[in-house]
Amino acid sequence: MSEANTDTDPIIPLATDLPPEALALLPAEETIRLSISTDIKLDGLYGSAWLLATDQRLLAFSPDDGGPPDIVDLALAEVESLEIQDLYGSGALKARTKTTGQTIALFSKTLNAKFAPLPEALEKLVRQARPIDDDENILRGRLDRAYLKRRCERCGQVIPRRMGVCPSCLESSKLLNRFLAYSLPYWPLAVTSLAILLVGTFIGLTPPLLLRTLIDDVLSPAATGAANAISLPLLGPTSASGALAYLVLGLLLINVSRNILGAVRSYLLARLGEQITFDMRRQVYRHLHRLSLNFYNDRDTGRIMASVTHDVGRLQDFLSDGLQETIRNILTILIICSLLFYLNAGLAIYVLLPTPLIVLATIHFGKRLHRIYTPLWRRWAGISAILADVIPGVRVVKAFAQEHREVDKFESRSKDLLQGELRAARTRSLFSPLMSFLTSLGTLIIWWVGGNKVLGQSMSLGEFVAFTGYMWQFYGPVESLCRLNHRFQRAATSAERVFEVLDSQPDVDDAPDAKQLPSINGHVEFRNVSFAYEPGKPVIENLSFTVEPGEMIGLAGHSGAGKSTLINLICRFYEIDEGSILVDGHDIREVQLRSLRDQVGVVLQEPFLFNGSVADNIAYGKPEASLNEIIAAAMAANAHDFICGLPDGYDSIVGERAVRLSGGERQRLSIARAILRNPRVLILDEATASMDTETEAQIQEALARLVKGRTTFAIAHRLSTLRNADRLFIIEKGRLEEMGTHDELVALDGIYARLVHMQTEMGRIRAL
Amino acid sequence: MEKPYKLTDELNLLDATTTRLYHDDFDDLVLEVEGRDPERGILVVRCFPISAGDRFIALHTCKEKELGILEDLSALDPDSRNALANALARAYFRPQITAVYAITEEHHIPRWQVDTDRGPRTFEIRSSRRDIRVLSQGRVLIRDADGNQYEIPNYRRLDVDSRALVEDQV
Repeated sequence: MSEANTDTDPIIPLATDLPPEALALLPAEETIRLSISTDIKLDGLYGSAWLLATDQRLLAFSPDDGGPPDIVDLALAEVESLEIQDLYGSGALKARTKTTGQTIALFSKTLNAKFAPLPEALEKLVRQARPIDDDENILRGRLDRAYLKRRCERCGQVIPRRMGVCPSCLESSKLLNRFLAYSLPYWPLAVTSLAILLVGTFIGLTPPLLLRTLIDDVLSPAATGAANAISLPLLGPTSASGALAYLVLGLLLINVSRNILGAVRSYLLARLGEQITFDMRRQVYRHLHRLSLNFYNDRDTGRIMASVTHDVGRLQDFLSDGLQETIRNILTILIICSLLFYLNAGLAIYVLLPTPLIVLATIHFGKRLHRIYTPLWRRWAGISAILADVIPGVRVVKAFAQEHREVDKFESRSKDLLQGELRAARTRSLFSPLMSFLTSLGTLIIWWVGGNKVLGQSMSLGEFVAFTGYMWQFYGPVESLCRLNHRFQRAATSAERVFEVLDSQPDVDDAPDAKQLPSINGHVEFRNVSFAYEPGKPVIENLSFTVEPGEMIGLAGHSGAGKSTLINLICRFYEIDEGSILVDGHDIREVQLRSLRDQVGVVLQEPFLFNGSVADNIAYGKPEASLNEIIAAAMAANAHDFICGLPDGYDSIVGERAVRLSGGERQRLSIARAILRNPRVLILDEATASMDTETEAQIQEALARLVKGRTTFAIAHRLSTLRNADRLFIIEKGRLEEMGTHDELVALDGIYARLVHMQTEMGRIRAL
Repeated sequence: MEKPYKLTDELNLLDATTTRLYHDDFDDLVLEVEGRDPERGILVVRCFPISAGDRFIALHTCKEKELGILEDLSALDPDSRNALANALARAYFRPQITAVYAITEEHHIPRWQVDTDRGPRTFEIRSSRRDIRVLSQGRVLIRDADGNQYEIPNYRRLDVDSRALVEDQV
């Protein structure tokens, strides 16, 4: 038995861990062509089992702990069909011969991606093994490969739901470096602030030194009536009261300069932070608009909004607050340590004694709080979820008189939260007394050891007092450095998310040599176009057609047939997988996106109005439009009359939080918006689907004006809407099944005729 | 006179006493109802896979057309009941977690190491909030990152260590 030779299908790598018992079952002259290991055995328990194929046979080998292994041995030539069954929590591969059928492999959904190409590979082998090559299709079921997206393609790590980018392929330190690189353009500002920070910290630490001089050189000698002449740096010999005045002045200067420097520093650093986040926010938002619709489909809107606001804000907080605090703390600790050792090395060691305890306690409590807070945040999220769910649905709650139940539900969640909060509060309230006890431990030691030294004359009183002063300033920074890790991590996560957005490349983008699309006539051609949102699930398959300028095409078919996808492709919201789409002979992938979309007008089923005036909304696609044009467009769209009825006419504010317009009114505004753009290619996606008959008539009238002389693609479920169409395309499962005029298609007696028949029946029911 | 409308008449229930289910040589499930042709390659669908797994089993043809609903497994003859139970067990693979050894978190992705009634298993969860469902009486349903399903019948009955680990997640 030799290893796989080179013409073996390379889709599936051979399993490397084949058990010798399984190999022993194969005759020596047969070559293994394919082997795959699974994670569920044929008896339904977790464990490794294998499926092997040689050029002669298909062998399933599944060990059984208690007894002999389960073995299925089928001659390839006898295999009639292979079938992958996508079950509720697992998958199964079933093989059939003329007389029997057997499950030959079970696998968990984790292996879906691995098993997806298997039937095809096996089919190839079966064909080769058969004496006569017939064209019969052996495959029955297939697995889609969409599951791949949930795991990183590089390392196999699960990708968090709200992220979209593999977190382990992002490196934290690189992240931070990259983030700090944003401060490069502001380096003079950054350097100045750092210098001020350094000087300010140093100055801030001098008062205890002054205090030592005050006590040792001025007050103590005076109290004991010792020497009169005192020698101070920069001053020379002076009297005790002169020295006192000098020291007080010094302290004053220190305090004044420290506070001034502090003010300047905090302004400069804040400015730096603001500048950087401004740049970042701008860049993220700009990038968001460059990204194609695919990006938005894969993520939830809230998550994207949070990147722009919350995550960028957190980074700013880290930069202007966290980072400077960290630097200051490190500086403070270093300076105090060296001062303490300079003052009295023997005592300094005692000060450091409680430090490990403080570090340990802080880290321990930090972890514990984190463990308590994580479920707590989850509970908070649960409460917000209830609110987000019930408040918008309050009409349903009231209509079904379920207020009590909603209140109970909320209260039980609220109670859970209360318990969690209380647990957190207990830990928290334990934390600060413990910390202050640990810190006071240092004081105790110094009082005892230092006090003894002063008594033993080996340390001056001033040194003792200075020591105590420094010690108080020492533990704070230590504690806060211990909590840094958490802060750092939060900033890194935020940076990760922000860079995730920035690193996403638009699927649809201008080619480097993209040309401007010249003014078009509206000739649209599809050449063998195929497209799938998810690999393996084609939505449009090998679609070809030509539309002449000015023609109106009605698109009909069942929901999910691919109608909306088709028009998305014309707008190039997505990139097609195969074939090409030509507008006036230009491949739309070779022209600038903007120049294409400038000449395409879209009216959607649910018109979206932005916050702003009616006039702003009409002129959205052409902000430079004159008031004449705006009114003309509104008139053409049958919208003028109702607009004039609004309290502020064209200046009325519409949008989410303003004047409530009916669906028909909003639709007419969006038609006016499209008319004003004067596009050569017009797309109407269910533009009248949710209107009553009268409104629809008004809109139809407006649309009739709009489509004149333009290439139009109109999708409609109500076929009467399409009566003006020159040709109808009937789309079924991504294919163009029927094409022709209404009469032709009715005569054809196919899908369209059936749809028309059903709708006239419905019409009759309505008429009753 | 017309019969008054009864909502439950809408149900397409199969009479368990005249319904027979068995596996044929192809290991496909076959449905035989008195007065109808036998249907092969039946797919079984639980109408309430979580709250009432053994009641209201819908039987579909392989073309996903519903043939009828069996309200109660126990009303079937023993052979049919066995055949149906086997078909259900095969279609609904949801091991029960019997012990949780560790839950480690990396990049906000919890990785569970557990023992189940089907053997030991390690899996990752994308989002604890969405993929872990806590039902009444401590019952927990878990969907892992790849779409596999697991169940803890009552997490409060797990051993102390497992319970503490689960409690942190739910």
